[in-house]
Amino acid sequence: MIELKNVEKHFKKPIRGKGVFGMLKTLFSNKHTVVKAVDGVSFTVEDGEAVGYIGANGAGKSTTIKMMSGILTPTNGEILIDGLHPYKSKERNAVLKTIGVVFGQKTQLWYDLPLTETYDLLRYIYDVSESDYKRRLGELVELLDMKSFLDAPVRTLSLGQRMRADLAAAMLHNPKTLFLDEPTIGLDVLVKRNLIEAINAIRNEYNTTLILTTHAMSDIELLCKRVIILDAGKVLYDGTLDEVKHMFGDKRDITVITKSPLDPALVESKFTVDRVTGENDGLLTTITIDASKIHAGEILNYLLTEFEVDDVKIAETGIEKVVEKIYEKNGLTIDGVKAEGESAAEAKDNERETGEAKDSGGQD
Amino acid sequence: MKKELKLYPKYVSMSLRSSLSYKADSIIMIISFAVTEVISLATIYLIVGTVPSLGFWTFESLAFLFGFILIPKSIDHIFTDELWSLAYWAIRRGQLDVYLTRPINPLFQFVAKTFKFDGCGELIVGIVVCSIFGPQTGIAFTASGVIGLIICAFLGIFVFMGIKLLFASLAFWFQNVGIFLNTIYNLSNYAKYPIRHMGKAFAAILFYVVPFGLFLYYPIECLISGSNIWWAVLWSSIAAVVIMTLALFTWHRGIRRYESTGN
Repeated sequence: MIELKNVEKHFKKPIRGKGVFGMLKTLFSNKHTVVKAVDGVSFTVEDGEAVGYIGANGAGKSTTIKMMSGILTPTNGEILIDGLHPYKSKERNAVLKTIGVVFGQKTQLWYDLPLTETYDLLRYIYDVSESDYKRRLGELVELLDMKSFLDAPVRTLSLGQRMRADLAAAMLHNPKTLFLDEPTIGLDVLVKRNLIEAINAIRNEYNTTLILTTHAMSDIELLCKRVIILDAGKVLYDGTLDEVKHMFGDKRDITVITKSPLDPALVESKFTVDRVTGENDGLLTTITIDASKIHAGEILNYLLTEFEVDDVKIAETGIEKVVEKIYEKNGLTIDGVKAEGESAAEAKDNERETGEAKDSGGQD
Repeated sequence: MKKELKLYPKYVSMSLRSSLSYKADSIIMIISFAVTEVISLATIYLIVGTVPSLGFWTFESLAFLFGFILIPKSIDHIFTDELWSLAYWAIRRGQLDVYLTRPINPLFQFVAKTFKFDGCGELIVGIVVCSIFGPQTGIAFTASGVIGLIICAFLGIFVFMGIKLLFASLAFWFQNVGIFLNTIYNLSNYAKYPIRHMGKAFAAILFYVVPFGLFLYYPIECLISGSNIWWAVLWSSIAAVVIMTLALFTWHRGIRRYESTGN
């Protein structure tokens, strides 16, 4: 079981002056702003659960994962994984044996050597017995379809292959919990899909607790029933994915460019759509639909047969939109959010001044 | 600790095999490190020729000192070369993340990752120079003298290691520590010369502040001037213990404030 109790992580950022003199001044002053990357996050994840941890860039997702996996120490609050703190030096090793971590942007594989070399090293690091190792590696190679590149040096792998290889590396010691930090970053749609399916297969096979961060909603649909939405370091929503979809709808924006003008009323009369907007004298039309009510395919079929279509784009509701809607629902307008953002900036200015006044000695 | 010792050979073999995928690079590096040192020795020869008197120092004894210094320096080079990347970029680029998520000592993993075989070039030059010039220095090598010298060289490895770790760990607090570490590290080059002829202030720095003089120069001076080498052993042990303690303390304080990188 993973418990987070009021976890905060602050980063001190020195205020840098401009030019050479500013730089020298920075060197001898203690002025800094405090950025609260994670600001009072609490939640509990039960064994075997799969949680999608989502938020826009800079929401604090990675910082939370890094605190749970022993990389960063929380400024305030407490993190317990089966009753142990991953960031305390005495409890570290015991916790780390039970978790596996994959960072989409970093690899733990040995760059110039074949994959199997890194796996063999990991076997020793995690004290995996030879028979367990062989069986497990066999299963993972099968599940992740890695046979073809098992003996190639890591530097020759494609990004998709490398992600699968990193995933296998994190699973070799049979961790109880698997943390995935943006595992699909930079992958094309098909490879992404395959990876998500492979993660799902692993989860079904080993009943691993899974915490996955991403800023694409589509990544977690297959994997997670529960989502935690984070914004500006705070938990904005914690509940089921179905509920999010129900509350905000599963929207798609279909944008088409046609050779002749398209009359919005025509589409509205034929289908139940949310909104149709025309631009460019009706040559560029955006149709917003609710995917739970109507399939994008139906509309596309109609458009393609009735009009001469040059180009089509279908976009899913981004996490930014969902976050905006949650704010709206909580009684804040988007302007309200912005206003709050400004006041936060003011608060930071104040901190800056008090920092100056106190000359808060010592960096640490 | 036991586990780390068991793992170390594994790391060495992986590091060696991965550098073998760039065979030509390794050979060029070994040769170039060796050539650099030979040129440096030639420079000492030229300098000694122009200076009228250096007390009891002759070219032969300076060459012996030169060779002796290379031994701990090259061994440290072979084992802990990765510490340079700690000073230059590993912290700023968040490269420690991977080591911190594994259940063994992160410093061990970081240092063990690179076994710099290239340093063998320097080590060989050091041993060869010592064995050529040792007999010509006029030093009467007693068993106690030789053992003392070996202990000093051994402690020297840890002083080099400690100085690198100490200054590289400052990268947890400051940026661009690499250049600073480079400057400090290069002070060790001055221990190749008769420090006492360089002026009191400079000698004091090399003996008491950055103690390259203590464990590199002083043992040889003891042997040549006929003083008791065990004083050099005593001072080298103190330097090694103090510096390693400071270095490990700084590393542990630093790793707690490690900020990784955002993504």
